[in-house]
Amino acid sequence: MADVVVLGAGVAGHTAALHLKRMLPKGHTVTVVSPNSQWNWIPSNIWVGVGKMSKADVVFPLAPVYAKKRIDFRQAKAVAIHPRGDADDPRGAVDIVHTSPERDGQQERIRYDFLINATGPQLKFAMTEGLGPHGGHTVSVCTADHAIAAAEALRGVIAELKVGERRTLIVGMGHGTCTCEGAAFEYVFNVDHELREAGVRDRARLIYLTNERELGDFGVGGMTFADMGFETSSELWTGSLFREREVEAILGAHVFKVEPGVVHYETLDGEKHSLAFDFAMLLPPFGGVPLSAYAPDGADITSELFAPSGFMKVDADYTPKPFAEWKASDWPKTYLAQGYDNIWAVGIAFAPPHQISQPHKSANGTVIAPSPPRTGMPSGVMGKTAALSIVDRIKKGPNAAPHEASMAHMGAACVASAGSNLRTGSAAAMTMMPVVPDFERYPTGRDLKDTRGELGLAGHWVKLMLHYLFIHKAKGRLGWQFIPE
Amino acid sequence: MSENASAPIADLSKAPLPTQAMLRKRRSIPIQITRFAVFNARIMRMVLKGHSGH
Repeated sequence: MADVVVLGAGVAGHTAALHLKRMLPKGHTVTVVSPNSQWNWIPSNIWVGVGKMSKADVVFPLAPVYAKKRIDFRQAKAVAIHPRGDADDPRGAVDIVHTSPERDGQQERIRYDFLINATGPQLKFAMTEGLGPHGGHTVSVCTADHAIAAAEALRGVIAELKVGERRTLIVGMGHGTCTCEGAAFEYVFNVDHELREAGVRDRARLIYLTNERELGDFGVGGMTFADMGFETSSELWTGSLFREREVEAILGAHVFKVEPGVVHYETLDGEKHSLAFDFAMLLPPFGGVPLSAYAPDGADITSELFAPSGFMKVDADYTPKPFAEWKASDWPKTYLAQGYDNIWAVGIAFAPPHQISQPHKSANGTVIAPSPPRTGMPSGVMGKTAALSIVDRIKKGPNAAPHEASMAHMGAACVASAGSNLRTGSAAAMTMMPVVPDFERYPTGRDLKDTRGELGLAGHWVKLMLHYLFIHKAKGRLGWQFIPE
Repeated sequence: MSENASAPIADLSKAPLPTQAMLRKRRSIPIQITRFAVFNARIMRMVLKGHSGH
């Protein structure tokens, strides 16, 4: 009988755990370790952040779901991995520290035969002085609680606008190496939508402050679409939306400091600027959740398993090389940790071999480079892929070939809300195939038949549908396994 | 709050504005029902092509 441990209960980890329990014969154990007691459908935090949804709409408690599915749940954070066991037992082990009120601070070492690291991001607000809601001067929508605070702040600004004041609102990225530009894009247009619904848009200056060199980059180097017999770009398409909705854009920016009411940033030309604001939602850069790794003799082997960023090294080609030499084939296929055939890292937890969007440096040498997104659809697919590999190893033997799901072969849909309302809402609905462009297979990097983008009310309906579908799936309700990742 | 005049705002004056007809299309219920079906079909095709976890 095998013991499978999943670190993290986000999209990747939760998906993996549900599929593992569904497919494994009785007797094998699946244990999920997550410091959070609740599951959060993060894409809908955007709507919490403008007051269109409540926290209860986007989160639910994990324990009842895991109890129903007979998945062991430890509300705890993992702090160390012993991939080759310790002095007492050669099986791999994970050290965890409990975070539930009942067991807060208690330490435990749990053994595994197979491990999935799906720990997600560490929100590194501290990389920019004054950034974030915890002692900083900006709001965030990264968690449901952050989004509630953002909605309150936005309500306050709207109230001031209603009495005739003029206000400046900034939405974007709080550091030059941030990822998830799509989330900031969604939030800025949802804020625009709210301001229009409140009848105060004309008194508000709304600015999108981003590390993308061009609009429509989204951390994936932008997209080329075929439209009306022409090739067009996500830059043109996105620029059109910004112009139509009168949202100003500052591009190629690295925010290095936030003071009360003032954001300081550097642009690619090396110039430093300051911009006064009344409301700022700036996303933080992500890092890997801090985990150490130890050999059986206690030697620290953290650098063997993890990149300096804290993300786990997997079956990718991490050889440093110039941008022009990067290839789609550099990207991982199985997500097996380097040197281990029983540890996987999926979702944000794996170390990408390089950026997807071309990185740039400012004239001062500051890196301004969107990090590759690996959330949403790809995360779920990776989680399921790791689960399938483990199931095969258990059922067919240790030599069963691992399943593959390279982001250079996988497509993804990105539905970026641009306003929430069943009749007047809107969204930029995009599909891209593959996520990591492959210029050896496609002249534009992606398959034009499956790389599309359109704006309209239907996109809002799709996003709303995905909200309900994925919460249904995450709760493990009837037919959940038929809902694709 | 005063604005910072030196903010390097991107020049979007050449970005194409949608026509009124396009804006109406984006909110037309019958058209958007069709687009909803087409987009979902596209997602499913992508899932079948590249999400199988082979």
